[in-house]
Amino acid sequence: MKGAELVLQVLQQHGVDTIFGYPGGAIMPIYDALYQSEVKHYLCRHEQGGAFSAIGYARASGKVGVCMATSGPGATNLITSLADAMLDSVPVVAITGQVSQAVMGTDAFQEIDVLGLSLAVTKHSFMVRSVEELAATLHEAFAIAQSGRPGPVLVDIPKDVQLAEIDYQPENASTAKVAPVNTSLANAAKARALIAAAKKPMAYIGGGVHMAGAMPQLQQFLAANTMPSVTTLKAMGSVAKDNAHYLGMLGMHGTQAANLAVQQCDLLICLGARFDDRVTGNLQKFAPLAKVIHVDIDPAEINKVRFANVALLGDMKQILPAMTVGTNCADWLDQCAQLKQQYGWRYDHPGERIYAPLMLKQLSDRMPDNSVVCCDVGQHQMWVAQHMRFSSPRNHLSSGGLGTMGFGLPAAIGAKLARSQDTVITVSGDGSFMMNVQELATIKRFRLPVKIVIVDNQRLGMVKQWQQLFFNERYSETDLSDNPDFVALAAAFAIPGHCITRKDEVESALEAMFTWPGPYLLHVCIDDKDNVWPLVPPGAANQEMITELKA
Amino acid sequence: MNHVLNITATNTPAVVERLLQVTRYRGYELAGLELTPRNDARSLSITLTVSSDKPIHLLTSQLHKLYDIQQLELAGAELAVLSA
Repeated sequence: MKGAELVLQVLQQHGVDTIFGYPGGAIMPIYDALYQSEVKHYLCRHEQGGAFSAIGYARASGKVGVCMATSGPGATNLITSLADAMLDSVPVVAITGQVSQAVMGTDAFQEIDVLGLSLAVTKHSFMVRSVEELAATLHEAFAIAQSGRPGPVLVDIPKDVQLAEIDYQPENASTAKVAPVNTSLANAAKARALIAAAKKPMAYIGGGVHMAGAMPQLQQFLAANTMPSVTTLKAMGSVAKDNAHYLGMLGMHGTQAANLAVQQCDLLICLGARFDDRVTGNLQKFAPLAKVIHVDIDPAEINKVRFANVALLGDMKQILPAMTVGTNCADWLDQCAQLKQQYGWRYDHPGERIYAPLMLKQLSDRMPDNSVVCCDVGQHQMWVAQHMRFSSPRNHLSSGGLGTMGFGLPAAIGAKLARSQDTVITVSGDGSFMMNVQELATIKRFRLPVKIVIVDNQRLGMVKQWQQLFFNERYSETDLSDNPDFVALAAAFAIPGHCITRKDEVESALEAMFTWPGPYLLHVCIDDKDNVWPLVPPGAANQEMITELKA
Repeated sequence: MNHVLNITATNTPAVVERLLQVTRYRGYELAGLELTPRNDARSLSITLTVSSDKPIHLLTSQLHKLYDIQQLELAGAELAVLSA
């Protein structure tokens, strides 16, 4: 068979039945092999969108997402999405065609040094130099993407390697195995001693917990060692909905209860998180009274920005049970419950106009169980994290580390293909939506029943909010009041839609959206003066949150 | 201060670029680089000297994650100062 056919054989060996991509000159042999393959290819309309769909597929399902692109511009268009997967630790395998080796290094048509470009945005990357090494390289790519802390892997395949003949027997081929996780429980006793001695313990939960498959162990840990908990953006949905001691998201736009409690705790148990600057605010003033237990799979995260008094490395599933000792902190639990009550969200927004937090709460209350919500980036993203509840982090896909506008719509395509039985909703902003709007064509082509909610304030809202607060109200390039007619735009892709502007229209509009069997776009117009609160200003400690201010 | 890292790496086309990219991105200045293929030519012996006020573990922990790095040892810090 040809190298191109081998690629698809290896994908099938790894259980891949869904891939996202866009053809072009240097990857034509693989697309030719796809023509009769059982692997289903979903044509995106921009390679960045295709790779985001692979990310959405991976994050919603826990499987490896696969995307393909041609050399040159096809490959460079993947870079942003690979960076997104890198910073959010998403297992993705990207396959790029490369010009033939005979012309490599001559600035050939559509030639660019993709291996060089990949260095900063992948966990690892390969250039395949002969068809003999192709199968082993692809197997290795899948193993690396899933091993330890997951991440994106790129395999660049020159056209002559795709066309070369090889005798390949999949059943005889040895596949690289996912590396086992080394777990050391040597420090478990120290961790238990700190937990037992703590008067004000706090669990700070990140995306590493669910990625380790440790959701049951987390619930057991929080039940056996009763303590309040907070989550990062990526971990929303990790704590069971009936856990009374959960305080919500912490950080720049976290809940006041979460931030105030973390600032007061005397023991911070960081589980699969990395003290990101959007979480800590002023690092030197973050949780100043707390000793730290840090549990992670990546040794490089330990002591990277915050000293850990005790570190445990390895498999979260094994480590959490080993840290169980019981707590005695009734006063602290009461204090946190009080904070939670005192600083609960208020939805009694005056006036007729739609209040996005309330609208999103209504959406959250109304959406079927196990719905997947894919966000874009900006104010709406923070409102989703604040006002919607999720039963699993795999149901809330948000670009965390890279903060990539344009993520939501293509991610929803991937999520819908991964979980066809579940409702998939994109919540986007009027700025973000336009960044990968071409993927409406993908939705149209495959008749994907994705629900699209655009929260439209005719602004680049988050940038506008910072201009208002920190740049003397100089609104440089954030006015989008000449937005297209989004409902008409959707109609051009045969997607029905509806526009609402008043609070009293919300319930019936949501009802109509969920009742409609296919894709649907709900255009929600909000006041451009609404901002995201609370907010920890840059350089401030997390207890110095500012609240409500109208532009 | 200077730190000397003795590294054994798989001899892949981009391995040196990977080392240098991580070193630069993590905020360490390059103060010296020697490399020689080992006898089998499939791996490289690399001596990387870097300079920074940051603790060196912040670099070594990231370099350890590079897939092509087989072994990485930090030479004694005093030795590094002497040879600088």
